Amino acid sequence: MSAPVLLFLRAAMTLSLYAFMVWAFLLLWRNLKTQSELLSIRKTPPLTLTFTDPASNPITRHFRHPEITLGRDPHCEVYLENETVSAQHARLSYHHGQWWLEDLGSTNGTTLNSEEVDTPTIVISGDEVHCGKVPLKVRFALDDLSPNTREI
Amino acid sequence: MNSLANIVQKNMPETLKNIPQEIESRLLKLAALFLGLYSLILTLSPAVRARSWDVDYRWAHWAGFAIWTTLVWLTHIRLRADAPDRDPYLFPLAALFSGWGLLSIWRLTIVFGLRQSLWLAVSMTVLLFGLRWRELLPTLRRYKYVALTSGLLLTTLTLIFGSNPLGVGPRLWLGFGGFYLQPSEPLKLLLVIYLAAYLADRVPERKQFIPFIFPTLFLAGTALLLLAVQRDLGTASIFIMLYASVLFVATERRRVLLISTAILLIVGFLGYYFIPTIHLRLSIWFSPWDDPSGSGYQIIQSLMAIANGGLIGRGPGLGSPGFVPVTHSDFIFSSLAEETGLAGTLGLLTLIGVFLARGITVAFHAPNRFRRLLAAGLTAYIGIQSLLIIGGNLRMLPLTGVTLPFISYGGSSLLTSFLALLILLRISNENEEAAPLPRPQAYHFLSGLLALGLITSALVNGWWAIVRSSDLLTRSDNPRRALSDLYVPRGTLLDRNNTPINQTSGESGTLIREYLYPDLASVVGYTHSIYGQAGLEAALDDYLRGIAGNPTTLVWWNHLLYGQPPEGLDLRLSLDIHLQEKADLALGKHQGALVLVNAESGEILAMASHPTFDANMLDEIGGSLLTNENSPLLNRATQGTYPLSAELNALLEESSTPEIRLLVGQAEAGFASPLEVALLAAALSNDGVAPAPRLALAVNTHQSGWVVLPALGEARTLFSPAESRQLSTTFSNTETSYWQISVAGTGEEDALWLLAGTPKNWSGTPLALALILEEGNAELAEEIAKSLLGSAQ
Repeated sequence: MSAPVLLFLRAAMTLSLYAFMVWAFLLLWRNLKTQSELLSIRKTPPLTLTFTDPASNPITRHFRHPEITLGRDPHCEVYLENETVSAQHARLSYHHGQWWLEDLGSTNGTTLNSEEVDTPTIVISGDEVHCGKVPLKVRFALDDLSPNTREI
Repeated sequence: MNSLANIVQKNMPETLKNIPQEIESRLLKLAALFLGLYSLILTLSPAVRARSWDVDYRWAHWAGFAIWTTLVWLTHIRLRADAPDRDPYLFPLAALFSGWGLLSIWRLTIVFGLRQSLWLAVSMTVLLFGLRWRELLPTLRRYKYVALTSGLLLTTLTLIFGSNPLGVGPRLWLGFGGFYLQPSEPLKLLLVIYLAAYLADRVPERKQFIPFIFPTLFLAGTALLLLAVQRDLGTASIFIMLYASVLFVATERRRVLLISTAILLIVGFLGYYFIPTIHLRLSIWFSPWDDPSGSGYQIIQSLMAIANGGLIGRGPGLGSPGFVPVTHSDFIFSSLAEETGLAGTLGLLTLIGVFLARGITVAFHAPNRFRRLLAAGLTAYIGIQSLLIIGGNLRMLPLTGVTLPFISYGGSSLLTSFLALLILLRISNENEEAAPLPRPQAYHFLSGLLALGLITSALVNGWWAIVRSSDLLTRSDNPRRALSDLYVPRGTLLDRNNTPINQTSGESGTLIREYLYPDLASVVGYTHSIYGQAGLEAALDDYLRGIAGNPTTLVWWNHLLYGQPPEGLDLRLSLDIHLQEKADLALGKHQGALVLVNAESGEILAMASHPTFDANMLDEIGGSLLTNENSPLLNRATQGTYPLSAELNALLEESSTPEIRLLVGQAEAGFASPLEVALLAAALSNDGVAPAPRLALAVNTHQSGWVVLPALGEARTLFSPAESRQLSTTFSNTETSYWQISVAGTGEEDALWLLAGTPKNWSGTPLALALILEEGNAELAEEIAKSLLGSAQ
């Protein structure tokens, strides 16, 4: 008689292991849903950069993704054809609810409103950035600001 | 206030408001239920083995369960205060793994279980204090060189002061008064911390990759060299893989992975030809079946344990994982597979997958590059080490002596796993926003590799546990068969008049096989826990063991309930013990063999091979039998092939190997076995037709009583009736009622053949005899023939 009793217990043991697993998956699924809802309400505020090309034509470009590299390398999102600009010159990135500017070890340095950028610095609308000798104007529309920034 | 957290709270379903405490608590309750049922089954398991409630139950492991419950409950309470925003899945998973391992170790060896419980207490204490120390991560980052160098120093010390707790084997441990530490375990962790800290502080520049990684290459190379000197190949390969993983996610260069894979392959390839240790490991991996009782023993036993587990496992305490050497440490996976089956190990692999997925999630949410690399590196450490040893147990990868994190026995390993858990919990507890991750491909690629490894392990596990299961379990070197012989009675071998020849007696648990007619040993054979099986005991094993002849459902049900076959079935042989006694008496101490066969039906009435041995004495004489120059183990009647004389060779025009349930020697032209010659003699007494020989007549089944077992071969016509009558008349003489011919064999041996048989007009049982004497004694041969045929009716 002992064996059928134990068979029942063995089945129950295996089921309890799978209960652990199913419960973990259920919770993970709910977590995933919450996260995706959270992400859908969080987006990068669009950023507009105005600068001039070598022929002195003004160029205005809009960005919606959270990372923009500036430099003389044609693969950079912002391609600046000027000998004072390094290949990978500077980076604008959006995190912690702000746009940040950082210098990528360029030869001629980066300035923000005429101040040297040596640590990542917060950028706001209307700031003027210099990569080497190339000036760029940063703007973002106020109504497109991140919800986080507004609430703080 | 952090508004993100508010949004999360608002969007959460009602039941999950107080995450992560709630999630953790529910998962821990389910883990405790699983482990409680495990302990309960383990307690009751002796009742199933003995098939009775009146047994000594097992209680010791409840101490382990109590220690686990207390520690886990305390940690769970403290976590709420010390790490309120931690990942809620990591701790319950680690708790389940370590509890499962702990109980398995208690089940295997109680002393080791007690030690592992102490180590679990130490590990949980370290976890609790580590969580309260807020400066943990910055400190690790700051003192990265100090940490790695001290790890290296400790490992170097094992070269001088190293010891092994078992007394033999690689000396990888440092012992202090009964406690042993294996520095190469925490060294892996220190490597990950160092690499994460170093790589987070610098962004690689395009053209200076080698100078950039040079310090890491130097330190990792030193560590690798140390491990190579120590012959700790498992840890060395983990080192290479960990180094490659962390460097890959930090630099996003696939070249790193390609180069390190190439290095591993080249080292493996060169090692196969030039380094004995690697050669041995790899050749065992390629072909363990070449030496199943020597170098391939461990891995084959591991596969047999997995096969014995099957789909749902034998149940805790009901398998025999003890047959696998070092099952509590390196081979704990096969022990889990045997007792919880494929169902249990698939669950384990899935949960390891969840743990790794959470680890990568922690990396994604980490607020800076150091913590992200650290979390990814620790996840890679748990994943790679688990896959390496699980793959080794499944013969999917070459065997490396590393432990299964959280589960295997070993204090250093358990502590290291908990330190990794501590750091992961600490990183996940930050509620800052995640650092930007411009290119997540490297993390995806790493997770994909680990997932692929787990899926492959699951498939290979299914292959051994389900597809190859019965082939593995019926191998004669499966020690579980000898074990079940102690608990389940084998069938009895009976002679044609139901006189027992081999039978099983004793109490369940101490059953022994008795050989009542020892002179027949080389024919009926034996079943022995060390020397295996031979003769009819081997050939008819399926019936004697109850696997054949019983309804499949009964066999299946017994395997499910007890992991044992049902009671064996009795078999009736064609041998006649009275004639057999005469034959053995007549042959006496002379070397030779004889076969007495019913010329019409092919039933073998007596089969003797001398010298023989007493199978009851195998324990004492087994070893010397193998080396005895007179080969008593050889069944001369079927396996021995002797040179034929010209006359016999002319009669036996085409040689064939008779099919019978014994091993038969393959005779070349001019040679024949006594069995084959006996069938020739039978043809002369039976109108030229040689009957198919039969040795097993019937099996006594439960549903339909005695069922006849047919002959295996076909009858063959060797002569026309006229020819055979003419020949037997030529051989007959006036002194005896039967015909006979004795001829000396050709060749150097001084052998003598004798053929004899009843004449055609014989009124009783038609008989035919073949006799070979390994001495040229014609007088003795005729006497033997007379004693067997003279009295036959």
